[in-house]
Amino acid sequence: MNDMSLTAETRAGARPVKFAVNNLNFYYGGARALKNITFDLETNRVTAFIGPSGCGKSTLLRVLNRIYELYPAQRAEGEVLLDGKSILDPSVDVNLLRARVGMVFQKPTPFPMTIHDNIAFGIRLYEKLPKSELDGRIESALRSAALWSEVKDKLNASGLSLSGGQQQRLCIARTVAIKPEVILFDEPCSALDPLSTAKIEELIDELKASYTIAVVTHNMQQAARVSQYTAFMYLGELVEFDVTEKMFMAPKKKQTQDYITGRFG
Amino acid sequence: MNEHIVKSYDEDLQLVGRKIAEMGGIAEQMLNDAMDALSTFDADLAMRTVALDARLDLLQREIEGKCVVTIARRQPMAVDLRHLMAAIHIAADLERVGDMAKNIAKRSMKIVEDPRAPRAIVGLKRMSELASAQLKDVLDAYSRLDLERVAFVWKRDAEIDALEDIVFRDLLTFMMEDPRNISFCTHLLFCSKNIERIGDHATNIAETIHYLATGESMPLDRPKGAGSADGPAIADA
Repeated sequence: MNDMSLTAETRAGARPVKFAVNNLNFYYGGARALKNITFDLETNRVTAFIGPSGCGKSTLLRVLNRIYELYPAQRAEGEVLLDGKSILDPSVDVNLLRARVGMVFQKPTPFPMTIHDNIAFGIRLYEKLPKSELDGRIESALRSAALWSEVKDKLNASGLSLSGGQQQRLCIARTVAIKPEVILFDEPCSALDPLSTAKIEELIDELKASYTIAVVTHNMQQAARVSQYTAFMYLGELVEFDVTEKMFMAPKKKQTQDYITGRFG
Repeated sequence: MNEHIVKSYDEDLQLVGRKIAEMGGIAEQMLNDAMDALSTFDADLAMRTVALDARLDLLQREIEGKCVVTIARRQPMAVDLRHLMAAIHIAADLERVGDMAKNIAKRSMKIVEDPRAPRAIVGLKRMSELASAQLKDVLDAYSRLDLERVAFVWKRDAEIDALEDIVFRDLLTFMMEDPRNISFCTHLLFCSKNIERIGDHATNIAETIHYLATGESMPLDRPKGAGSADGPAIADA
Protein backbone atom coordinates (compact mmCIF):
# COMPACT_ATOMS: atom_id res chain seq x y z
CA MET A 1 0.00 0.00 0.00
CA ASN A 2 1.37 3.39 -0.88
CA ASP A 3 -0.05 6.82 -0.18
CA MET A 4 -2.10 6.72 -3.37
CA SER A 5 -4.35 4.10 -1.85
CA LEU A 6 -7.66 5.40 -0.74
CA THR A 7 -8.37 5.39 2.96
CA ALA A 8 -10.53 2.61 4.33
CA GLU A 9 -13.27 5.17 4.82
CA THR A 10 -13.34 6.31 1.20
CA ARG A 11 -13.04 2.77 -0.09
CA ALA A 12 -16.15 1.71 1.77
CA GLY A 13 -18.83 0.90 -0.77
CA ALA A 14 -16.19 0.58 -3.46
CA ARG A 15 -16.92 -1.41 -6.62
CA PRO A 16 -14.81 -4.29 -7.90
CA VAL A 17 -11.58 -3.21 -9.53
CA LYS A 18 -11.69 -3.27 -13.36
CA PHE A 19 -8.24 -1.97 -14.12
CA ALA A 20 -5.37 -2.34 -11.67
CA VAL A 21 -2.25 -0.38 -12.58
CA ASN A 22 0.90 -1.07 -10.59
CA ASN A 23 4.24 0.72 -10.90
CA LEU A 24 3.64 1.66 -14.50
CA ASN A 25 6.48 3.39 -16.35
CA PHE A 26 6.22 4.60 -19.91
CA TYR A 27 8.91 5.69 -22.32
CA TYR A 28 8.88 7.71 -25.52
CA GLY A 29 12.28 6.49 -26.75
CA GLY A 30 14.59 7.54 -23.93
CA ALA A 31 12.14 9.96 -22.30
CA ARG A 32 10.26 8.65 -19.30
CA ALA A 33 6.71 9.99 -19.55
CA LEU A 34 5.07 8.04 -16.71
CA LYS A 35 6.78 7.39 -13.40
CA ASN A 36 5.69 4.54 -11.14
CA ILE A 37 1.98 5.06 -11.61
CA THR A 38 -0.25 3.01 -9.32
CA PHE A 39 -4.04 3.21 -9.12
CA ASP A 40 -7.25 1.23 -9.63
CA LEU A 41 -10.22 1.94 -11.88
CA GLU A 42 -13.44 0.81 -10.23
CA THR A 43 -16.17 -0.92 -12.21
CA ASN A 44 -19.18 1.26 -13.11
CA ARG A 45 -17.42 4.37 -11.92
CA VAL A 46 -16.09 7.41 -13.74
CA THR A 47 -12.49 8.31 -12.94
CA ALA A 48 -11.22 11.67 -14.16
CA PHE A 49 -7.57 12.45 -14.89
CA ILE A 50 -6.53 16.07 -14.61
CA GLY A 51 -3.22 17.88 -14.83
CA PRO A 52 -1.36 20.41 -16.97
CA SER A 53 -0.48 19.65 -20.60
CA GLY A 54 2.30 17.13 -20.87
CA CYS A 55 1.72 15.63 -17.43
CA GLY A 56 1.12 12.17 -18.92
CA LYS A 57 -2.61 11.77 -18.53
CA SER A 58 -3.28 11.06 -22.21
CA THR A 59 -0.24 8.79 -22.31
CA LEU A 60 -1.69 6.86 -19.41
CA LEU A 61 -5.00 6.43 -21.21
CA ARG A 62 -3.16 5.24 -24.32
CA VAL A 63 -1.53 2.47 -22.29
CA LEU A 64 -4.87 1.08 -21.15
CA ASN A 65 -5.77 -0.17 -24.65
CA ARG A 66 -2.18 -0.40 -25.90
CA ILE A 67 -2.90 2.05 -28.67
CA TYR A 68 0.63 3.42 -28.15
CA GLU A 69 1.93 0.32 -29.91
CA LEU A 70 0.91 1.83 -33.22
CA TYR A 71 3.98 4.04 -32.82
CA PRO A 72 7.59 2.83 -32.78
CA ALA A 73 9.93 3.37 -29.84
CA GLN A 74 7.16 3.66 -27.28
CA ARG A 75 7.05 1.14 -24.50
CA ALA A 76 5.34 0.49 -21.19
CA GLU A 77 6.83 -1.28 -18.17
CA GLY A 78 5.03 -2.40 -15.07
CA GLU A 79 1.77 -4.14 -14.41
CA VAL A 80 -1.59 -3.31 -15.96
CA LEU A 81 -4.31 -5.80 -15.08
CA LEU A 82 -7.74 -5.89 -16.70
CA ASP A 83 -10.00 -8.12 -14.58
CA GLY A 84 -6.82 -9.43 -12.98
CA LYS A 85 -5.12 -10.41 -16.25
CA SER A 86 -2.11 -8.56 -17.63
CA ILE A 87 -2.73 -6.60 -20.82
CA LEU A 88 0.92 -5.74 -21.42
CA ASP A 89 1.79 -9.38 -22.05
CA PRO A 90 2.90 -9.85 -25.70
CA SER A 91 0.51 -12.79 -26.05
CA VAL A 92 -2.50 -10.55 -25.54
CA ASP A 93 -4.63 -10.07 -28.67
CA VAL A 94 -4.59 -6.28 -28.97
CA ASN A 95 -7.61 -6.21 -31.29
CA LEU A 96 -9.65 -8.04 -28.69
CA LEU A 97 -8.24 -5.75 -25.99
CA ARG A 98 -9.30 -2.68 -27.97
CA ALA A 99 -12.77 -4.16 -28.42
CA ARG A 100 -13.00 -4.49 -24.64
CA VAL A 101 -11.44 -1.09 -24.00
CA GLY A 102 -12.95 1.50 -26.32
CA MET A 103 -11.67 5.01 -26.81
CA VAL A 104 -13.21 8.37 -27.75
CA PHE A 105 -10.85 11.12 -28.84
CA GLN A 106 -10.62 14.86 -28.45
CA LYS A 107 -11.69 15.67 -31.99
CA PRO A 108 -14.66 13.73 -33.35
CA THR A 109 -13.32 11.16 -35.81
CA PRO A 110 -16.25 9.86 -37.87
CA PHE A 111 -15.31 7.73 -40.87
CA PRO A 112 -16.12 9.27 -44.27
CA MET A 113 -19.15 7.02 -44.72
CA THR A 114 -22.83 6.98 -43.76
CA ILE A 115 -23.98 7.26 -40.16
CA HIS A 116 -25.21 3.67 -40.41
CA ASP A 117 -21.91 2.36 -41.73
CA ASN A 118 -19.87 4.33 -39.20
CA ILE A 119 -21.34 2.10 -36.54
CA ALA A 120 -21.71 -1.08 -38.61
CA PHE A 121 -18.01 -0.92 -39.48
CA GLY A 122 -16.79 -1.73 -35.98
CA ILE A 123 -19.41 -4.40 -35.38
CA ARG A 124 -18.53 -6.18 -38.62
CA LEU A 125 -14.89 -6.39 -37.55
CA TYR A 126 -15.83 -8.60 -34.63
CA GLU A 127 -19.13 -10.24 -35.46
CA LYS A 128 -21.14 -11.55 -38.42
CA LEU A 129 -24.71 -10.45 -37.78
CA PRO A 130 -27.83 -10.79 -39.94
CA LYS A 131 -29.01 -7.40 -41.23
CA SER A 132 -32.00 -7.10 -38.90
CA GLU A 133 -29.85 -7.80 -35.88
CA LEU A 134 -27.16 -5.44 -37.11
CA ASP A 135 -29.72 -2.66 -37.57
CA GLY A 136 -31.06 -3.33 -34.10
CA ARG A 137 -27.57 -3.07 -32.65
CA ILE A 138 -26.98 0.21 -34.51
CA GLU A 139 -30.24 1.64 -33.20
CA SER A 140 -29.46 0.67 -29.63
CA ALA A 141 -25.94 2.12 -29.92
CA LEU A 142 -27.33 5.40 -31.27
CA ARG A 143 -29.93 5.43 -28.51
CA SER A 144 -27.39 4.91 -25.77
CA ALA A 145 -25.33 7.74 -27.28
CA ALA A 146 -28.47 9.94 -27.16
CA LEU A 147 -28.25 10.50 -30.91
CA TRP A 148 -31.03 8.26 -32.25
CA SER A 149 -33.84 10.83 -32.31
CA GLU A 150 -31.65 13.26 -34.21
CA VAL A 151 -30.43 10.87 -36.93
CA LYS A 152 -33.03 8.11 -37.24
CA ASP A 153 -34.41 9.61 -40.47
CA LYS A 154 -31.03 10.11 -42.11
CA LEU A 155 -28.98 7.02 -41.33
CA ASN A 156 -27.71 7.06 -44.90
CA ALA A 157 -26.40 10.60 -44.67
CA SER A 158 -22.65 11.03 -44.28
CA GLY A 159 -21.32 11.01 -40.72
CA LEU A 160 -19.39 14.13 -41.64
CA SER A 161 -22.65 16.04 -42.26
CA LEU A 162 -23.41 16.06 -38.52
CA SER A 163 -22.53 18.91 -36.15
CA GLY A 164 -19.42 18.60 -33.94
CA GLY A 165 -21.42 17.53 -30.92
CA GLN A 166 -23.38 14.99 -32.96
CA GLN A 167 -20.19 13.66 -34.53
CA GLN A 168 -18.75 13.13 -31.05
CA ARG A 169 -21.87 11.26 -29.98
CA LEU A 170 -21.63 9.22 -33.20
CA CYS A 171 -18.11 8.25 -32.15
CA ILE A 172 -19.43 7.27 -28.72
CA ALA A 173 -22.18 5.20 -30.42
CA ARG A 174 -19.49 3.53 -32.55
CA THR A 175 -17.53 2.70 -29.40
CA VAL A 176 -20.58 1.44 -27.51
CA ALA A 177 -21.77 -0.68 -30.49
CA ILE A 178 -19.00 -3.22 -30.09
CA LYS A 179 -19.97 -3.72 -26.44
CA PRO A 180 -16.77 -2.74 -24.68
CA GLU A 181 -16.30 -3.05 -20.91
CA VAL A 182 -14.25 0.09 -20.47
CA ILE A 183 -14.54 3.41 -22.31
CA LEU A 184 -11.63 5.86 -22.34
CA PHE A 185 -12.50 9.47 -23.10
CA ASP A 186 -9.58 11.69 -24.07
CA GLU A 187 -10.85 15.26 -23.70
CA PRO A 188 -14.17 14.36 -25.31
CA CYS A 189 -15.65 17.87 -25.05
CA SER A 190 -12.77 20.23 -25.70
CA ALA A 191 -13.96 20.89 -29.27
CA LEU A 192 -17.64 21.19 -28.37
CA ASP A 193 -19.98 24.02 -27.41
CA PRO A 194 -21.49 24.09 -23.87
CA LEU A 195 -24.78 22.45 -24.87
CA SER A 196 -23.09 19.58 -26.70
CA THR A 197 -20.73 19.30 -23.73
CA ALA A 198 -23.70 18.99 -21.36
CA LYS A 199 -25.16 16.22 -23.54
CA ILE A 200 -21.88 14.29 -23.52
CA GLU A 201 -21.59 14.70 -19.75
CA GLU A 202 -25.14 13.46 -19.27
CA LEU A 203 -24.24 10.55 -21.53
CA ILE A 204 -21.11 9.70 -19.54
CA ASP A 205 -23.22 9.67 -16.40
CA GLU A 206 -25.69 7.23 -18.00
CA LEU A 207 -22.97 5.05 -19.52
CA LYS A 208 -21.34 4.41 -16.17
CA ALA A 209 -24.20 2.07 -15.27
CA SER A 210 -22.89 -0.34 -17.93
CA TYR A 211 -19.23 0.53 -18.34
CA THR A 212 -16.10 1.50 -16.46
CA ILE A 213 -15.07 4.94 -17.59
CA ALA A 214 -11.88 7.00 -17.56
CA VAL A 215 -11.96 10.63 -18.69
CA VAL A 216 -9.01 12.89 -19.39
CA THR A 217 -10.05 16.51 -19.22
CA HIS A 218 -8.56 19.99 -18.96
CA ASN A 219 -11.86 21.28 -17.67
CA MET A 220 -11.73 20.93 -13.91
CA GLN A 221 -15.40 21.69 -13.46
CA GLN A 222 -16.13 18.88 -15.88
CA ALA A 223 -14.00 16.49 -13.85
CA ALA A 224 -15.87 17.61 -10.72
CA ARG A 225 -19.22 17.11 -12.43
CA VAL A 226 -18.85 13.76 -14.14
CA SER A 227 -16.47 11.71 -12.03
CA GLN A 228 -16.61 9.80 -8.78
CA TYR A 229 -12.81 9.58 -8.51
CA THR A 230 -10.22 12.08 -9.63
CA ALA A 231 -6.51 11.65 -10.25
CA PHE A 232 -4.16 14.62 -10.44
CA MET A 233 -1.01 14.08 -12.50
CA TYR A 234 2.05 16.27 -12.81
CA LEU A 235 5.31 15.70 -14.70
CA GLY A 236 4.54 12.04 -15.28
CA GLU A 237 3.65 11.31 -11.66
CA LEU A 238 0.32 10.56 -10.07
CA VAL A 239 0.33 13.21 -7.35
CA GLU A 240 -3.03 12.52 -5.73
CA PHE A 241 -5.94 10.14 -6.26
CA ASP A 242 -9.10 10.37 -4.21
CA VAL A 243 -12.88 10.60 -4.31
CA THR A 244 -13.84 13.59 -6.43
CA GLU A 245 -15.51 15.65 -3.69
CA LYS A 246 -12.40 15.45 -1.55
CA MET A 247 -10.12 16.36 -4.42
CA PHE A 248 -12.05 19.50 -5.23
CA MET A 249 -13.05 20.65 -1.75
CA ALA A 250 -10.01 19.72 0.31
CA PRO A 251 -7.16 18.04 -1.55
CA LYS A 252 -4.36 16.71 0.62
CA LYS A 253 -1.40 17.74 -1.52
CA LYS A 254 -0.35 21.33 -2.01
CA GLN A 255 0.45 20.68 -5.70
CA THR A 256 -3.11 19.52 -6.28
CA GLN A 257 -4.56 22.51 -4.50
CA ASP A 258 -2.34 24.94 -6.42
CA TYR A 259 -3.35 23.40 -9.72
CA ILE A 260 -7.09 23.22 -9.20
CA THR A 261 -7.28 26.74 -7.74
CA GLY A 262 -5.24 28.25 -10.56
CA ARG A 263 -2.11 28.95 -8.55
CA PHE A 264 0.31 26.89 -10.60
CA GLY A 265 3.34 28.97 -11.44
CA MET B 1 -0.28 30.25 -0.16
CA ASN B 2 0.91 31.06 -3.66
CA GLU B 3 -0.78 33.78 -5.63
CA HIS B 4 -3.28 33.02 -8.35
CA ILE B 5 -2.11 33.22 -11.94
CA VAL B 6 -5.01 35.65 -12.46
CA LYS B 7 -4.19 38.59 -10.18
CA SER B 8 -7.71 40.01 -10.02
CA TYR B 9 -8.81 36.71 -8.43
CA ASP B 10 -6.52 37.39 -5.46
CA GLU B 11 -7.89 40.93 -5.28
CA ASP B 12 -11.48 39.60 -5.16
CA LEU B 13 -10.65 37.27 -2.28
CA GLN B 14 -8.66 39.93 -0.40
CA LEU B 15 -11.51 42.40 -0.73
CA VAL B 16 -13.91 39.90 0.85
CA GLY B 17 -11.42 39.31 3.69
CA ARG B 18 -11.07 43.05 4.33
CA LYS B 19 -14.83 43.57 4.43
CA ILE B 20 -15.19 40.73 6.96
CA ALA B 21 -12.53 42.40 9.11
CA GLU B 22 -14.44 45.69 8.89
CA MET B 23 -17.69 43.97 9.88
CA GLY B 24 -15.92 42.33 12.80
CA GLY B 25 -14.60 45.68 14.02
CA ILE B 26 -18.06 47.26 13.84
CA ALA B 27 -19.75 44.32 15.57
CA GLU B 28 -17.23 44.42 18.41
CA GLN B 29 -17.66 48.16 18.80
CA MET B 30 -21.45 47.86 18.81
CA LEU B 31 -21.37 45.30 21.61
CA ASN B 32 -18.99 47.36 23.73
CA ASP B 33 -20.88 50.61 23.12
CA ALA B 34 -24.24 49.01 23.82
CA MET B 35 -22.96 47.71 27.16
CA ASP B 36 -21.45 51.11 28.01
CA ALA B 37 -24.76 52.75 27.13
CA LEU B 38 -26.53 50.25 29.34
CA SER B 39 -24.30 50.69 32.38
CA THR B 40 -24.04 54.50 32.15
CA PHE B 41 -27.63 55.19 31.00
CA ASP B 42 -26.16 57.02 28.00
CA ALA B 43 -29.07 57.33 25.55
CA ASP B 44 -26.98 59.25 23.06
CA LEU B 45 -24.39 56.47 22.83
CA ALA B 46 -27.25 53.96 22.56
CA MET B 47 -28.67 55.79 19.56
CA ARG B 48 -25.31 55.94 17.84
CA THR B 49 -24.93 52.21 18.42
CA VAL B 50 -28.30 51.53 16.82
CA ALA B 51 -27.29 53.68 13.84
CA LEU B 52 -24.10 51.67 13.27
CA ASP B 53 -26.12 48.58 12.46
CA ALA B 54 -27.05 49.90 9.00
CA ARG B 55 -23.38 49.86 7.99
CA LEU B 56 -23.12 46.24 9.14
CA ASP B 57 -26.18 45.23 7.10
CA LEU B 58 -24.79 46.95 4.02
CA LEU B 59 -21.41 45.24 4.40
CA GLN B 60 -23.07 41.86 4.71
CA ARG B 61 -24.92 42.43 1.45
CA GLU B 62 -21.75 43.57 -0.26
CA ILE B 63 -19.86 40.50 0.91
CA GLU B 64 -22.62 38.16 -0.21
CA GLY B 65 -22.83 39.87 -3.58
CA LYS B 66 -19.08 39.77 -4.09
CA CYS B 67 -18.93 36.08 -3.13
CA VAL B 68 -21.77 35.10 -5.45
CA VAL B 69 -20.27 37.02 -8.38
CA THR B 70 -16.85 35.49 -7.71
CA ILE B 71 -18.33 31.98 -7.63
CA ALA B 72 -20.15 32.64 -10.90
CA ARG B 73 -17.15 34.17 -12.65
CA ARG B 74 -14.31 32.01 -11.42
CA GLN B 75 -15.83 28.69 -10.38
CA PRO B 76 -13.56 28.53 -7.33
CA MET B 77 -12.26 25.19 -6.10
CA ALA B 78 -10.88 23.82 -2.84
CA VAL B 79 -9.53 26.49 -0.47
CA ASP B 80 -10.88 29.34 -2.62
CA LEU B 81 -14.40 27.94 -2.56
CA ARG B 82 -14.13 27.33 1.18
CA HIS B 83 -12.90 30.90 1.62
CA LEU B 84 -15.97 32.32 -0.15
CA MET B 85 -18.44 30.01 1.59
CA ALA B 86 -16.84 30.89 4.93
CA ALA B 87 -17.14 34.60 4.16
CA ILE B 88 -20.86 34.25 3.46
CA HIS B 89 -21.39 32.40 6.76
CA ILE B 90 -19.21 34.70 8.85
CA ALA B 91 -20.83 37.82 7.40
CA ALA B 92 -24.25 36.42 8.34
CA ASP B 93 -23.04 35.67 11.89
CA LEU B 94 -21.55 39.15 12.30
CA GLU B 95 -24.71 40.74 10.99
CA ARG B 96 -26.67 38.87 13.67
CA VAL B 97 -24.16 39.97 16.33
CA GLY B 98 -24.96 43.54 15.25
CA ASP B 99 -28.68 42.87 15.67
CA MET B 100 -28.11 41.53 19.18
CA ALA B 101 -25.99 44.54 20.16
CA LYS B 102 -28.59 46.87 18.65
CA ASN B 103 -31.24 45.17 20.77
CA ILE B 104 -29.17 45.74 23.92
CA ALA B 105 -28.73 49.40 22.97
CA LYS B 106 -32.48 49.83 22.44
CA ARG B 107 -33.26 48.21 25.78
CA SER B 108 -30.74 50.47 27.52
CA MET B 109 -32.87 53.42 26.42
CA LYS B 110 -35.92 51.88 28.06
CA ILE B 111 -34.35 51.38 31.46
CA VAL B 112 -34.96 54.47 33.51
CA GLU B 113 -31.97 55.44 35.59
CA ASP B 114 -32.44 53.44 38.73
CA PRO B 115 -30.01 53.27 41.66
CA ARG B 116 -30.69 49.56 42.00
CA ALA B 117 -29.79 48.72 38.39
CA PRO B 118 -25.95 48.94 38.44
CA ARG B 119 -25.70 46.09 40.93
CA ALA B 120 -27.72 43.92 38.58
CA ILE B 121 -25.57 44.84 35.60
CA VAL B 122 -22.29 43.57 37.08
CA GLY B 123 -22.83 39.99 35.93
CA LEU B 124 -23.96 41.16 32.50
CA LYS B 125 -20.79 43.22 32.14
CA ARG B 126 -18.71 40.17 32.87
CA MET B 127 -20.65 38.20 30.25
CA SER B 128 -20.24 40.89 27.62
CA GLU B 129 -16.50 41.25 28.30
CA LEU B 130 -16.16 37.56 27.64
CA ALA B 131 -18.32 37.74 24.50
CA SER B 132 -16.29 40.71 23.29
CA ALA B 133 -13.04 38.79 23.88
CA GLN B 134 -14.54 35.85 21.97
CA LEU B 135 -15.33 38.10 19.02
CA LYS B 136 -11.88 39.66 19.04
CA ASP B 137 -10.12 36.31 19.30
CA VAL B 138 -12.20 34.66 16.60
CA LEU B 139 -11.60 37.57 14.22
CA ASP B 140 -7.86 37.36 14.90
CA ALA B 141 -8.08 33.64 14.22
CA TYR B 142 -9.81 34.41 10.92
CA SER B 143 -7.16 36.82 9.74
CA ARG B 144 -4.34 34.38 10.54
CA LEU B 145 -6.20 31.09 10.08
CA ASP B 146 -5.01 30.28 13.60
CA LEU B 147 -6.50 26.88 14.48
CA GLU B 148 -5.23 26.95 18.06
CA ARG B 149 -7.14 30.12 18.72
CA VAL B 150 -10.17 28.66 16.98
CA ALA B 151 -10.13 25.70 19.38
CA PHE B 152 -9.68 28.07 22.32
CA VAL B 153 -12.69 30.19 21.34
CA TRP B 154 -14.76 27.11 20.63
CA LYS B 155 -14.13 25.71 24.11
CA ARG B 156 -14.47 29.03 25.96
CA ASP B 157 -18.09 29.56 24.86
CA ALA B 158 -19.13 27.26 27.71
CA GLU B 159 -18.01 29.97 30.15
CA ILE B 160 -20.50 32.44 28.70
CA ASP B 161 -23.26 29.87 29.04
CA ALA B 162 -22.29 29.29 32.65
CA LEU B 163 -22.29 33.03 33.35
CA GLU B 164 -25.71 33.36 31.75
CA ASP B 165 -26.97 30.85 34.25
CA ILE B 166 -25.57 32.89 37.13
CA VAL B 167 -26.98 36.16 35.76
CA PHE B 168 -30.37 34.52 35.38
CA ARG B 169 -30.41 33.46 39.05
CA ASP B 170 -29.22 36.89 40.18
CA LEU B 171 -31.90 38.73 38.25
CA LEU B 172 -34.54 36.33 39.52
CA THR B 173 -33.43 37.07 43.06
CA PHE B 174 -33.66 40.83 42.44
CA MET B 175 -37.15 40.45 41.06
CA MET B 176 -38.28 38.41 44.04
CA GLU B 177 -36.75 40.87 46.45
CA ASP B 178 -38.68 43.83 45.11
CA PRO B 179 -41.36 43.87 42.39
CA ARG B 180 -40.21 47.35 41.34
CA ASN B 181 -37.10 45.62 39.96
CA ILE B 182 -39.11 43.45 37.61
CA SER B 183 -39.26 45.94 34.75
CA PHE B 184 -35.53 46.59 34.33
CA CYS B 185 -34.59 43.04 35.30
CA THR B 186 -36.73 41.73 32.47
CA HIS B 187 -34.88 43.95 30.03
CA LEU B 188 -31.59 42.74 31.46
CA LEU B 189 -32.69 39.14 31.06
CA PHE B 190 -33.19 39.74 27.36
CA CYS B 191 -29.80 41.45 27.25
CA SER B 192 -28.13 38.41 28.80
CA LYS B 193 -29.82 36.20 26.21
CA ASN B 194 -28.51 38.52 23.48
CA ILE B 195 -24.97 38.29 24.83
CA GLU B 196 -25.22 34.53 25.09
CA ARG B 197 -26.29 34.45 21.43
CA ILE B 198 -23.35 36.64 20.46
CA GLY B 199 -21.14 34.01 22.08
CA ASP B 200 -22.86 31.37 19.97
CA HIS B 201 -22.18 33.37 16.81
CA ALA B 202 -18.50 33.65 17.78
CA THR B 203 -18.51 29.86 18.16
CA ASN B 204 -20.18 29.49 14.76
CA ILE B 205 -17.44 31.64 13.26
CA ALA B 206 -14.79 29.49 14.97
CA GLU B 207 -16.34 26.40 13.38
CA THR B 208 -16.46 28.11 9.99
CA ILE B 209 -12.76 29.03 10.23
CA HIS B 210 -11.91 25.45 11.12
CA TYR B 211 -13.71 24.30 7.97
CA LEU B 212 -12.06 27.03 5.91
CA ALA B 213 -8.59 26.02 7.08
CA THR B 214 -8.93 22.23 7.03
CA GLY B 215 -11.87 21.34 4.80
CA GLU B 216 -13.32 19.37 7.69
CA SER B 217 -16.15 20.15 10.07
CA MET B 218 -15.76 20.38 13.84
CA PRO B 219 -17.69 17.92 16.01
CA LEU B 220 -21.42 18.58 16.22
CA ASP B 221 -21.41 18.49 20.01
CA ARG B 222 -20.29 21.78 21.43
CA PRO B 223 -18.77 22.05 24.90
CA LYS B 224 -21.57 22.88 27.33
CA GLY B 225 -21.53 25.23 30.26
CA ALA B 226 -23.37 24.78 33.54
CA GLY B 227 -26.58 24.92 31.53
CA SER B 228 -27.39 23.59 28.11
CA ALA B 229 -27.23 25.79 25.05
CA ASP B 230 -30.92 26.61 25.21
CA GLY B 231 -30.69 28.14 28.63
CA PRO B 232 -31.55 25.28 30.93
CA ALA B 233 -31.50 27.90 33.59
CA ILE B 234 -35.17 28.19 32.79
CA ALA B 235 -35.76 24.50 33.34
CA ASP B 236 -33.83 24.67 36.60
CA ALA B 237 -35.67 27.70 37.91
